[in-house]
Amino acid sequence: MENALLVGLSRQMGLSHELDVVSNNIANINTTGFKADNAAFSEFLMSNARDNDFSGKDKRVSFVQDRNTWIDLSQGAVERTGNPLDVAVDGKGYLTVQTQRGQRYTRNGSLTINATGQLVTSEGDQVMGAAGPITFQVNDHDINISSTGIISVRDGTGADAPRGQLQLTYFDRPQMLKKDGASLFNAPAGVNTVAVPANTRVVQGGLEKSNVHAIAAMARMIEITRSYSDISAILQQQSDQRRNALQQLSQPPSSS
Amino acid sequence: MRALDTAATGMAAMDLQVQVIAGNLANMTTTGFKSQRAEFQDLIYEHVQRIGAQASDNGNILPVGIDLGSGVKTVGTPRLMTQGTLAQTGNTLDIAIQGAGWFQILMPDGTFSYTRDGSFQMDNQGRIVTAEGNLVQPTITIPPNSTGLTINQQGQVSVTLPGSTTSSILGQLNLTTFINDAGLQATGNNLFVATPASGTPQVGVPGINGAGTLLQGSLEQSNVSAVTEISNLIAAQRAYEMNSKVITAADEMLQTTAQLMR
Repeated sequence: MENALLVGLSRQMGLSHELDVVSNNIANINTTGFKADNAAFSEFLMSNARDNDFSGKDKRVSFVQDRNTWIDLSQGAVERTGNPLDVAVDGKGYLTVQTQRGQRYTRNGSLTINATGQLVTSEGDQVMGAAGPITFQVNDHDINISSTGIISVRDGTGADAPRGQLQLTYFDRPQMLKKDGASLFNAPAGVNTVAVPANTRVVQGGLEKSNVHAIAAMARMIEITRSYSDISAILQQQSDQRRNALQQLSQPPSSS
Repeated sequence: MRALDTAATGMAAMDLQVQVIAGNLANMTTTGFKSQRAEFQDLIYEHVQRIGAQASDNGNILPVGIDLGSGVKTVGTPRLMTQGTLAQTGNTLDIAIQGAGWFQILMPDGTFSYTRDGSFQMDNQGRIVTAEGNLVQPTITIPPNSTGLTINQQGQVSVTLPGSTTSSILGQLNLTTFINDAGLQATGNNLFVATPASGTPQVGVPGINGAGTLLQGSLEQSNVSAVTEISNLIAAQRAYEMNSKVITAADEMLQTTAQLMR
């Protein structure tokens, strides 16, 4: 008797989680290098719902369980900014960032230079080069970043000087990357770095925009609210049904 | 409901985005103005179900987890340090910089500020000053009654003194360059100050060591692109609207639940 209520409730819990996911996507619709999240659900079979009075075999009740959130790692549009220290990764690969908590990976290439001339993210974390942090000299100018990530400048004497190469990282199972906030991804244990695919290139003077699809996100949200109220209606009917049953059954038999 | 708070951070971020766009549009015709851009990052994630946690007693490891984000934050409003278009004014003390570099300005408190606004004036002592009366460095004094003030591409200032037929050099206007122009901090009045992020100021002669050249009789206009700003404004406004719809949706869901109880 209670099962319909509980099944409905499990769906509503899932929908409420999904709205959290969608709202985070919409909040980050203008966030550089943001990758959209999606929620996935699975059926959870409850084996305990058995009763000796069932006409057939035991009927198992299926509940809804939120299984996981997965990250949509598709490429976002690259917007031209013209800033020499803005880089976008076109293709598969992540910039490598050294944070206080360890190495992290990002697609947000809005970079700057700190007090000691090191290339850092807008949060101030060091951007790693193929051979350690990338450091500029005080009178370097005309920073140029090639499509393979090689950084060259004109030094104080006007001669071209190399300043390192951006370290791009890719993973054997990129879908298992974990979001760490501040546009960073963390590679959990079991995710190994592999060579970056050959067609990946670095675009200087551009930034990768968020890959959230506004229309899809809105449509998903409408769907969530609609199914939520549908379930509520079912719960309501269940409740009415039970109330009716109680009323009918509790009436004393008429003496005839 | 977490969605309510998440959407609120989204609305706050878009509000800031509109503020930045408003600042850019208001300064569309400000000489030497450099447009700003709001830079956003996602907030921390709550790992409701961690990747790699045990899924059941028989030792299954979860291959995926549930991560719920908590919204968006603004990390900065970096400036776009591209060249603005040059407008010819014909004024002898209007100087535009073509390429990298900044004019060094001595402030009343003895510190230096930097500007690309080259609409200079002459003060009562004949010195070259900004529109607010602050001295352009190095100080150049133009003798009274001199004619034919010329500033060449390399910054040499020369005039024809009274009673002379040839021009004589008065001084040299320098340009200051920074490794990271975007790290300069705006202080208003078209002025910027050096910060640790901009690097140490490098004073040099125009046209040498990567510094730009000067163009007399012109001014650098703002680098605000009206089309970009308007399209960003539309995007920001729509994003704001969508975030508010999320709040409505979360509210409706709560209401539906509340109505269950009679």
